[in-house]
Amino acid sequence: MSTTTTRTDAAPAASAARRPRSGAARPRSETPAALMRFYQLLLTAVVLGAWEILGRAGVIDTFFFSLPSAIGVAVWDWIVTGFIFPHLWITLQEALYAFIIGTGLGLILGFLLARVRFLERLFEPFVQMFNALPRVVLAPIFLLWFGLGIESKVAFGVTLVFFIVFFNVLQGVKSVDRVLLDNARMLGATERHLIQHVVLPSALTWIFSSLHISVGFAIVGAVVGEYLGAAAGVGYVIAQAQGVFDTEGVFAGMFILMIVVLFVDLGVNRLERYLLRWRPVPGA
Amino acid sequence: MTSTETAHVPAVQLDACTKEFVTPQGGSYFAVKGIDLTVMPGKFVSIVGPTGCGKSTVLNMAAGLMAPSQGEARSFGAPVVGVNRRASYMFQQDALLPWKTVLDNVSLGLIMRGVGKKEAAAEARRWLAKVGLSNFEDRYPHQLSGGMRKRTSIAQAWIVNPDILLMDEPFSALDVQTRQIMENELLDIWQESGKAVIFITHDLDEAIALSDEVVLLSAGPASHVVARYDITLPRPRNLLEIRDDPQFVELHREIWGKLRDEVAKTYAAKAA
Repeated sequence: MSTTTTRTDAAPAASAARRPRSGAARPRSETPAALMRFYQLLLTAVVLGAWEILGRAGVIDTFFFSLPSAIGVAVWDWIVTGFIFPHLWITLQEALYAFIIGTGLGLILGFLLARVRFLERLFEPFVQMFNALPRVVLAPIFLLWFGLGIESKVAFGVTLVFFIVFFNVLQGVKSVDRVLLDNARMLGATERHLIQHVVLPSALTWIFSSLHISVGFAIVGAVVGEYLGAAAGVGYVIAQAQGVFDTEGVFAGMFILMIVVLFVDLGVNRLERYLLRWRPVPGA
Repeated sequence: MTSTETAHVPAVQLDACTKEFVTPQGGSYFAVKGIDLTVMPGKFVSIVGPTGCGKSTVLNMAAGLMAPSQGEARSFGAPVVGVNRRASYMFQQDALLPWKTVLDNVSLGLIMRGVGKKEAAAEARRWLAKVGLSNFEDRYPHQLSGGMRKRTSIAQAWIVNPDILLMDEPFSALDVQTRQIMENELLDIWQESGKAVIFITHDLDEAIALSDEVVLLSAGPASHVVARYDITLPRPRNLLEIRDDPQFVELHREIWGKLRDEVAKTYAAKAA
C-alpha cells in the first residue's frame, strides 16, 4: 500500500524536478547524448536483470516484489486484451475535468481577488485555511457527497488544481509591471484594454508556467480518488490487485500510469513552449 | 494638429506644482516643490538635475499619471485630469509588452483607439520602416537589442500622433554610440513635427545637444527649478559634431557650473 501511494505521488514531483534541468546550461565537453542514452539503457537492463535474477534465486521475495518478466507479461496481457483501456480512459477523463474546472475556478477567483482588494482581505484567512488542509482527507467526504463515480474524483482533483492556479493568478495579476500598465494607459488603454492586453497575458504567464504541476496534480487527484473508492479507473485496478495480493497487477498499474504521465508531460512541454514562445530561453 | 490655433497655448504648463508623498512612518516627503514649467508646442525642453531630484515626478504630473498635491498641471489650456490624452510617454525602463510582437506592440495604440486591424498594421509597418525595423516585425521584444527596443518604443509612442512627447531618460540604458545614433534619429523624426517634447536626462551633453531649452532642477527633496537656459544653437543640428561647437562648449561650462553645485548637495546630503 505504501509503495502505491508514494509512486503515484512521485508523478508531479518528477515533472517539477525536470524543469530546472532543461534550463541549466551544460558544458560542451560532456558525454554525447547518444552515448548517455546507451548508458541509461544499460543501467535499466542491469537493475531489471538483477531484480529478475535475485527474484528467481529466491533472494528477493517475489510475493512482495514480483519479477520484471511477470510484470511485463501482466502489462502486455492488459494491453492485448484491451482490459486496461476503459480504466485508463476513465482516469484521464477525471484528470481532464479536474484540470479544466480547477483551472477555470482558480482563474476566475484569483482574478477577482487580485482586482478587488476588499474580497482579497475578506477571503485571505479562509484561503489559507483550506490550503493548509491536507487535501487527501477531503476524499472520503467527496465519496459521500458524490458517490463512487467520476464526480468524486473530479471534485478531489479540482481541490488540488484549484489552489495552484489560484495562487499563481493572484500573484500574476498583482505583480503586473507598473510600467507596462502606465505605458498602456498612456497609449489610450481603457480598463478593459488593460485587462485584455496587459493584466490577463501577465497572469496567463504564471498559469502556463505552473501547467506541469497542475496537470500532474489533476492525475494524482484522479488516481488517489480511485484508489480510495471507485468502480473503475487505473487507481481502482491497482487497489483491486492489492486486495488479492496480486503484486504483478500493482506494479503493472504503476508502470502504465508512469508511461501515460510521461506522454502527457511531453505534450504539456510542447504546449508550454508554444504558449510562452515570446519568453527568452532561460540560461541563453 | 498643432496648427496656428494652438501655437500660442502652452502644450504643457505646470503652475507652482508640488508633489508630496506620505512616508511609511507617517511623515511627509516633498518630491518637488513649486515647480513652474511651460513648454510651447514644437519646443524641445530638457530637464536635468542630480539623481533623485524628482525629474520623473515632473514628467508624471505632465502625463497625468500623478496629480500634483498643490498647484495645477494644464495641457493646451485644459487642466490635466487623469491620463493626458494628448501625450505619449517613453519610459526609462522597457515598457514594450513582452508577449506581443514588434508589430503588435507598435500598432497597440491605434488598436486601442478603435482603428481597424489592417489599417493599424499598415501604419505600424510604415513606422517600423521609419525607425529601420522593417525586417523585425515578427520578433518578440526579448529577441531585439536594446537599441532596437528603443526604436520600437519610439514607433509605439509616435504612431498615435501625440502633440506632446514625454521622455524619461529613454536612452540612458544604451551604450554611447547607440545613444548618439538614437539621438540623431529622434531629432530627425521630431524636426518639423510641431510636437512638444519634455526630455529628462542626467546627461548634460545630451540635454544641450537636443533641446531648445534646458531646465535645471535643484537637488531633492523638495526640488525646484534653479535655472533655465535657452539653447539657441542653429537647427538642424549635427549631433556628432555639435559637442565641439564653441557655443555648445560655453553653454556646457555655464550650466555645468550650476549643476555641479546641485550634484555636490546631493552627495553631501547622502553622506550626512
